[in-house]
Amino acid sequence: MTSYIVRRLFATLPVMAVVALFVFFLLRFAPGDPAAIIAGDDATAESIAAVRVKLGLDRPMVEQFVVWVGQLLQGDMGVSIFSNLAVTRLIAQRLEPTVALTLSTLFVAVALAVPIGVVAAWKARKLVDRLAMAFAVLGFAMPTFVLAYILIYFFAVQWQLLPVQGYAPIKQGFWPFVESLILPSVALGITYMALIARITRASMLEVLAQDYIRTANSKGLATDRVLLLHALKNAAVPIVTVIGIGIALLISGVVITETVFNIPGLGRLTVDAVLKRDYPVVQGLILVFAGAKVLVNLIIDISYAFLDPRIRY
Amino acid sequence: MAEASILEVRDLHTQFRTLDGIVRAVDGVSFHVARGETLGIVGESGCGKSVTAMSILRLIPPETGRIASGSIKFEGEELTRLSEEEMKRLRGHRISMIFQEPMTSLNPVLTVGTQIAENVVRHLHVPWSAARDRAREMLDLVRIADARRRLDEYPHQLSGGMRQRVMIAMALSCDPQVLIADEPTTALDVTIQAQILDLMIELKEKTGTAIVLITHDLGVVAETTERVVVMYAGRKVEEASVEALFAEPLHPYTRGLMRAIPRLDVEADIAGTRPRLQEIPGLVPILTKPIIGCAFAPRCGFATDRCRSEAPPLVEGSAGHTVACWEVERVRASA
Repeated sequence: MTSYIVRRLFATLPVMAVVALFVFFLLRFAPGDPAAIIAGDDATAESIAAVRVKLGLDRPMVEQFVVWVGQLLQGDMGVSIFSNLAVTRLIAQRLEPTVALTLSTLFVAVALAVPIGVVAAWKARKLVDRLAMAFAVLGFAMPTFVLAYILIYFFAVQWQLLPVQGYAPIKQGFWPFVESLILPSVALGITYMALIARITRASMLEVLAQDYIRTANSKGLATDRVLLLHALKNAAVPIVTVIGIGIALLISGVVITETVFNIPGLGRLTVDAVLKRDYPVVQGLILVFAGAKVLVNLIIDISYAFLDPRIRY
Repeated sequence: MAEASILEVRDLHTQFRTLDGIVRAVDGVSFHVARGETLGIVGESGCGKSVTAMSILRLIPPETGRIASGSIKFEGEELTRLSEEEMKRLRGHRISMIFQEPMTSLNPVLTVGTQIAENVVRHLHVPWSAARDRAREMLDLVRIADARRRLDEYPHQLSGGMRQRVMIAMALSCDPQVLIADEPTTALDVTIQAQILDLMIELKEKTGTAIVLITHDLGVVAETTERVVVMYAGRKVEEASVEALFAEPLHPYTRGLMRAIPRLDVEADIAGTRPRLQEIPGLVPILTKPIIGCAFAPRCGFATDRCRSEAPPLVEGSAGHTVACWEVERVRASA
């Protein structure tokens, strides 16, 4: 297993290299010029050119790329064109809210979805199942920001139970931290809840038709043991896969949620950087996102071996 | 005879709803099993023998099927009237079951030890450590070598024969009074089949568990059972002791089944050929339509107009040998 993990980690290097290559050149081929933005609306061609020289953007693209990669290998992601702050520092500052929001959203989604999916499969084609799946479809169809505003209106404005927006870092105390995450996590989590619940139901239905479930029932085992141990453990691989895909989707979903709830996370940093064509920041962020996705994939693959003894690496 | 019997099925009707109508999978079957006895239930695929077994344990999926009428008495207790909770306490404890497919009947993600021990914990209310000891004992009993190590293995690490041994160990772990074995050896190699059957018979002698052996294989029946029920199209067509049945099968269907068994003891003729096996002409009837008369009549060489219009009752052909056939005398005379 250890050698598998080491091999997988090494295998991520070419992936990251390709990502770096693509993001670098795509950004530069995309329309928009940071020099023009810095120089301002009434800038002349000369002043824009001067900014370009100052930023090093006048050099050949290949040279710029080599310089950037050289810095990367030393752990340096460069400096923001606009704020002159190190990209690594900018990202580090914004990391906590995004990681906290992603994890709490995932928690909300999984905690709701798996029980809903299991019960729906158990009571397949009965009223409970139809209600659960209707709820899931509704959750999936509802845009995150609409749900977010509905939640804010009732829980924050009308009943004043939770803060309207903002983020409280964990060092300000655990409860304010949790309070600030509840609404955004629920708003964002409902979509993934729907996805995971449907897969859980489908996977459970398939497993419940298997011979070994008949065996478990012929032993007179309690229903919860049959469902939660005999069936759910077998149904887990597709469910975990979808949860993994969910994490990947979340990283983009976080952008809207962070904006609606005014959370200073990576999502908003990304949007700002893209709008300003702040190349070093965008490049750094995309590498971080890509690295996170690769890591999540690895964790998911490793988890298979724990869920299914037939899978060995 | 009813006093000695541990399991008594009377006039059982089990039906399934399908898009084509109601399938009468079991259509008025009665039989009984005596304490410690081995009863064989024989018939072709689709004759209702597995459904009969599932009905006894009340494992017919309620979404599609139900026991429409009839009585199933186990130790004098009417199973059709028990609550689901009471049935759960009985399944795997006093009546247990093993299935045809050892490859798929064990849970692939749980260890063998867990799957045996959970049955013991559930029904005998002992702690897990004691249940694990019991599981190891059971693996020894079904002669799985190195039982202690096997407990922590998963089904995919075992061969088909070993898995069926594990199934037997699991089924017998709470000393049931009745073991229902639904085609327990069909999916196994011939040499393994014999080992598993021998094991079942040996354990039966040791534990006194009655066995209901469901099979399509008359060879298996001849070797292992004491009494045989022959089923056709959801009905019982013949019942006899195994000696009587093989000495003189009375139902044309039973005779057809026997002619379909390959025999090595029949001499080859001068040309070196043996008599060809004979198949039973025609197909098993479609059970969505009510069957008028004898269900076997369309495939039967002895059939008369009466066979096609009036269902034959079970009659005693000789002592303890019942058969549902209007033409018993002609069948018997035809040899």
